[in-house]
Amino acid sequence: MLAERKGGRPLRGRSRILAAVLSTVLSISMLYGCGSGKDGGSASSNTGEKVFNYGTTAYGVAMENVGLDPHDTYSGWSTLRYGVGETLFKFNEKMELEPWLATDYEQVDEYTLKIHLRDDVNFTSGNKMTGEAVKACLEDLITRHDRAPEDLKIESITAEGQSVIIKSKEKVPALIHYLCDPYGAIIDMEAGVSEDKNVSGTGPYIAENVTDTEINLVANKNYWGGTPKVDRVNVKSITDGDTLTMAMQNGEIDAAQGLPYVSLKLFQNNESFSISSCDTSRVYQAAINFKTPVLQDEKVREAIAMGIDKEGFTTVLLDGNGTAATGPFPANFTFGKDAVSAPAYDPQGARELLSQAGWKDTDGDGYVDKDGKPLEIRWLTYTSRQELPLLAESVQATLKAIGIKVIVNATDNYNEYLKKGEFDIYAKAIVTAPTGDPQYYFTTHLLDSSSYNSGNYHSDKVEELTEQLRNEYDMEKRSQLAIQIEQQILDDHAFIYASHLKMSFVMKKGIGGFEAHPSDYYEITADLDIIQ
Amino acid sequence: MRRYVGKRLLQLIPILIGITLLSFGLMHLASMDAVDVRYEKQGTVVSEEVKAQIREELNLDKPFLVQYGLWLKGVVTGDMGVSYISGKPVFETFITKLPATIALTLTSILLTIVVSIPLGILAAVKQNRPLDYLIRFGSFIGNSLPNFFVSLLLIYFLALKLGVFPVISGGGWNSIVLPTLTLSIAMSAKYIRQVRATVLEELSKDYVTGARSRGVRERVILYKNVLRSSLFTIVTLLALSIGSLLGGTAIVESIFMWDGVGKMAVDAITMRDYPIIQTYVIWMAVIYVLVNLITDIVYCFLDPRIRLEQGEGI
Repeated sequence: MLAERKGGRPLRGRSRILAAVLSTVLSISMLYGCGSGKDGGSASSNTGEKVFNYGTTAYGVAMENVGLDPHDTYSGWSTLRYGVGETLFKFNEKMELEPWLATDYEQVDEYTLKIHLRDDVNFTSGNKMTGEAVKACLEDLITRHDRAPEDLKIESITAEGQSVIIKSKEKVPALIHYLCDPYGAIIDMEAGVSEDKNVSGTGPYIAENVTDTEINLVANKNYWGGTPKVDRVNVKSITDGDTLTMAMQNGEIDAAQGLPYVSLKLFQNNESFSISSCDTSRVYQAAINFKTPVLQDEKVREAIAMGIDKEGFTTVLLDGNGTAATGPFPANFTFGKDAVSAPAYDPQGARELLSQAGWKDTDGDGYVDKDGKPLEIRWLTYTSRQELPLLAESVQATLKAIGIKVIVNATDNYNEYLKKGEFDIYAKAIVTAPTGDPQYYFTTHLLDSSSYNSGNYHSDKVEELTEQLRNEYDMEKRSQLAIQIEQQILDDHAFIYASHLKMSFVMKKGIGGFEAHPSDYYEITADLDIIQ
Repeated sequence: MRRYVGKRLLQLIPILIGITLLSFGLMHLASMDAVDVRYEKQGTVVSEEVKAQIREELNLDKPFLVQYGLWLKGVVTGDMGVSYISGKPVFETFITKLPATIALTLTSILLTIVVSIPLGILAAVKQNRPLDYLIRFGSFIGNSLPNFFVSLLLIYFLALKLGVFPVISGGGWNSIVLPTLTLSIAMSAKYIRQVRATVLEELSKDYVTGARSRGVRERVILYKNVLRSSLFTIVTLLALSIGSLLGGTAIVESIFMWDGVGKMAVDAITMRDYPIIQTYVIWMAVIYVLVNLITDIVYCFLDPRIRLEQGEGI
């Protein structure tokens, strides 16, 4: 009591001083803060330059695409996406090949390809893009890159003026497709790669500053494809979805890629924003384990395929941010979704199939059983892709409705379970056609020799058709072979393809020339514009 | 004193060997290494031959102890290695991230001290009065809210609604305000209660009663005696907080795009980037040893009766 009474007055004085200090600090902070709260966002800067600020979750150390050196792991994605580099050929919206830095090509023989180059292209270093320059770039690519040598199987490269002749060690019918991979971005090796992993490309933008979290670009005024409409582009890595959302709402960025599904709603039907979306070849697939005795019964596999509600998953759980899949490739591929057929969602039909296979609910617990054993499926998946645990939940619910008990194991230690074979179905996300060609997916997932054939699937027909595909150079025939292979795996109910990832860009109204592309390779182009 | 400091610094050697060996071992318990993670994360696939070649280049194909020995040999010769992911020298990467973390640590600690000590004392002096209840209630709320939630609330109100601060760090000094506020709110809430409890405990001691009976002014008792005695607790708390903050605050750094060592460490763990993780582990061990050493020295200055040479400080 004494302390409080005696201490009262002096302390009040002190607390006033402290309060005054704190208020001053806060006021100064706020005053300074006021000056720059929304400066970041910018359709145009004070100097009259058009500046485009772009926030993305797809750039950064964790994405392994830091820097702009296309010959270093996945950095080529940044080279291409942010308009610094270009490849010899590119994909259109139907994922068909189009010339880019090249004008055309000739398949001289099964092992030799001659590519003719444009004659009006300069690197941003000022050097001309010649056959020699492309040769030097591709030689550096196969020397330093991890995946390229295995994909391209190049034996030798020869330059002849504005042409390059590529000889392969083996038949590579999809060589041109592989050269469209971001690692195929053509850079000036004479200018080299700087310490901060900057390069001299041929694209509409030149990087001025490259860090782990940001790339600052300036328009390439000498761009061969016309003068870029936007003067400066700042690409910012924003890994937190909520921060990205609020930066977009706050106007600090002009466009965003990688917003959480739940945030996209904020920008839909909003007159201040527009959205560009498209399906990509990233598919959420479930591989059946053919070593599981129960799943060796085709009727059970078909019942499972019929018991999964893909439309419900994409429209409800993914909130429309995915497209129900049929096969491994989306509809924008010539050999994609509409070219094949898979069992439709039919719970009643699935129950009947199970019944025909001898699985009935004899004890009334809601789950079917046979010889006293319930039908249980161990569903293995991982959590680093937000859609996979949702898919597992969806499957658990819809398969329960047909009497199958699904035990979900969503773990990032899934490799351990795969190695031990402790799973019945393994669900994962995979980019099935990164180069627009189907062979890659088939050879890596469906064959006896495939490293990623987790379910030990085997089909003589698929083996044979894939061998034909390996030797087929005619694009139309390759498509037909791809459709046959896809249909075979769907008829065998070896894989269930749940959904294709829908990629969305959100941007302020008035942003033009910024469209989502099914390849996921092209973002910043010379067409990008800020219409005031 | 010098002998004591030297002895404590020497203790760092076994600590560093033990902790780096342990972290190296724990990382290798995971079923996926940096090479597996690289391709799985991208959703692309490569042959086992390519993977084997990369493992060979990174020495990941060698037995665990050989890998550790090679890494240790590099560290002893001043080579912390190269990041598996970025390909950049680890030491250089680490050093570029450190200033941001140190800046955030300093501002957060300063704001915490400025807020929590006066409010803690005020709450103690006004015990069981409305002001005490108000401060305790605020402290309770601050303690209950996780950092990520406070971050989002601050962004929502101060950046989105009022527009006084930017959502994302633009490099300007005002970018540090929101992350500092986030960290300080949680720390201040904890410190206020600690300061209040310590001051209350001191106020009930005989020397305070004695001083009051001798007619010493309450302000003198409070600031010259009670606060000085309470400083032991505050310094201990500060030491722990500084250690923790210098290790980075991954969530806050991610939300505010603050390019510090916390986010770097989390990225490295996700990607199994062992050289970066090991460097981070060394950093954490060094700062905790150093901060504890400095704390012990500060104790000595606060109370000259403490002799560092005789034992383990306090």
